[in-house]
Amino acid sequence: MIETNGLGRTFDGTVAVEDLHLRVGEGEVVGLLGPNGAGKTTTVRMLSCLIAPTSGGAVVAGFDILRDPQRVRERVGVLTETPGLYRRLTVRRNLEFFARLYGVEDVAGQVEKYLDLFGLSDRQADPVGTLSKGMRQRLALARALLHEPEVLLLDEPTAALDPESAREVRDFISELRGAGRAILLCTHNLPEAERLCDRIALLRTRLVAVGTPEELKARLFSPRVLVELAAPDPDLPRALDLPFVKEAELSGNVLALRVEDPERDNPLLVQRLVELGAQVKYVTREERTLEDVYLELMEAGDAD
Amino acid sequence: MLVHKEWEEVFRIRLVIFSVLFMPLLLAGFATYLVWQAQALPEEAAGARAALFNTALMYFLILPVIIPVTIAVYSIVGEKEQGTLEPLLATPIADWELFLGKALAAVLPALGLTWMVFGLFLAASAVILEGLPPGVLSLPWLLSLFALAPLLALFGVLVTMIVSSRTSDPRAAYQFSGLALIPGLIPLIIYSARQTAVSLKLVGLEGALVLALDVGVPYLAVRLFRREEILTRWK
Repeated sequence: MIETNGLGRTFDGTVAVEDLHLRVGEGEVVGLLGPNGAGKTTTVRMLSCLIAPTSGGAVVAGFDILRDPQRVRERVGVLTETPGLYRRLTVRRNLEFFARLYGVEDVAGQVEKYLDLFGLSDRQADPVGTLSKGMRQRLALARALLHEPEVLLLDEPTAALDPESAREVRDFISELRGAGRAILLCTHNLPEAERLCDRIALLRTRLVAVGTPEELKARLFSPRVLVELAAPDPDLPRALDLPFVKEAELSGNVLALRVEDPERDNPLLVQRLVELGAQVKYVTREERTLEDVYLELMEAGDAD
Repeated sequence: MLVHKEWEEVFRIRLVIFSVLFMPLLLAGFATYLVWQAQALPEEAAGARAALFNTALMYFLILPVIIPVTIAVYSIVGEKEQGTLEPLLATPIADWELFLGKALAAVLPALGLTWMVFGLFLAASAVILEGLPPGVLSLPWLLSLFALAPLLALFGVLVTMIVSSRTSDPRAAYQFSGLALIPGLIPLIIYSARQTAVSLKLVGLEGALVLALDVGVPYLAVRLFRREEILTRWK
């Protein structure tokens, strides 16, 4: 559905996106993460044929963005960084206008469907300027879907929303996953990306890493076991002379251990700890978050 | 559909309605006054009378050029200000469709208003002068109003839209549009300077000139309309 091939864009000599190779398949949600200025919005703009790449190319919904921009636009739904709605027009008129621009055959039917789906039917006669931020974002999302696009490009869909509105929008995006669309989601919100995306692409002008959240975590962090003790023993890390323990670190009452294979090694580890007189309260696996992955990769990028 | 949307949007702004209505009514009033004054001149002042009549006609040719400026300036800059231009440009609409829709949205009300206030002018003149003044329904006047005025309006709108699409601030767009419209107004000023009645030849000459411009300017407008620049350079 989306396949970029060395996609790149420079603005007056400044590189915004460089050599991007990324694939988003049917029914897949891929999160594009990166700091401000990483090239996320530029990527969305290139894929929606709003701006042309200066190098490489991409095929979106089966059409080349350089050769068939018109056809790409017909098949792509875009949620821009700001909702970009006509504030003086009513909710319904905003949708009707865009439905016609996208060549929707049953304008009234599609508008009705999305007003209903996004809970905006009661407000359809109100000017958009009177809606809350959350409602406007829902309306913008409805507008992006009116023509039943095969590809959805969502740029910061929950930015600047209060937690409740953000959750509503996330729920809607979550429901869209099953419809067979390819969705590229740009976000700063890492828990949101972890919850919504099948795969994550970390962008910092160039693609830093791509994979499922679990793959990225496994790639960066070897498993650690956390042992909570009844009382700390500073000598314990040194006293643990087990070959499979690669690293041991005591922090307060918690002993953090890097082991080769937790499932195989943990029983022996606990046995040895008890032999050394330690009183074990809990043994848990250290949970790494996408935020850890993100920070690790971005810091590695800084070091480079 | 774009035309309707533009009207729905623009005519909800009170300032736009005021500025669009004020000038036509004012100039129609001036035109009536000029014709009234011209009628009062003695027979031997035929040249002065013709000049006053020409000036009155000129007002109705200026109107279609200046009325759409408010609407046309808003057409691109207003979209950018509201953040609506990006979703709009992300649709399959072609550049020429966008320009045509926005140009018609500005030209049609301008022409409608011009013809309406011309009707008011005729009615007022008929009442004040107890009959229509001679010449106001002559072929040069009617051709000026119904053939030249649309061509001038289109020219004015396209020039304004070019300026609007190349400017990020509505105030700057207004100012630059004013300057850009000067070439379109020069032939009109010639009308008022003439001591003889406007002739078919003059109307035809000016019509041919503006028609040539109307053919070239849309091409230039679409060529100069750069989605990328509008999206990436405007802050």
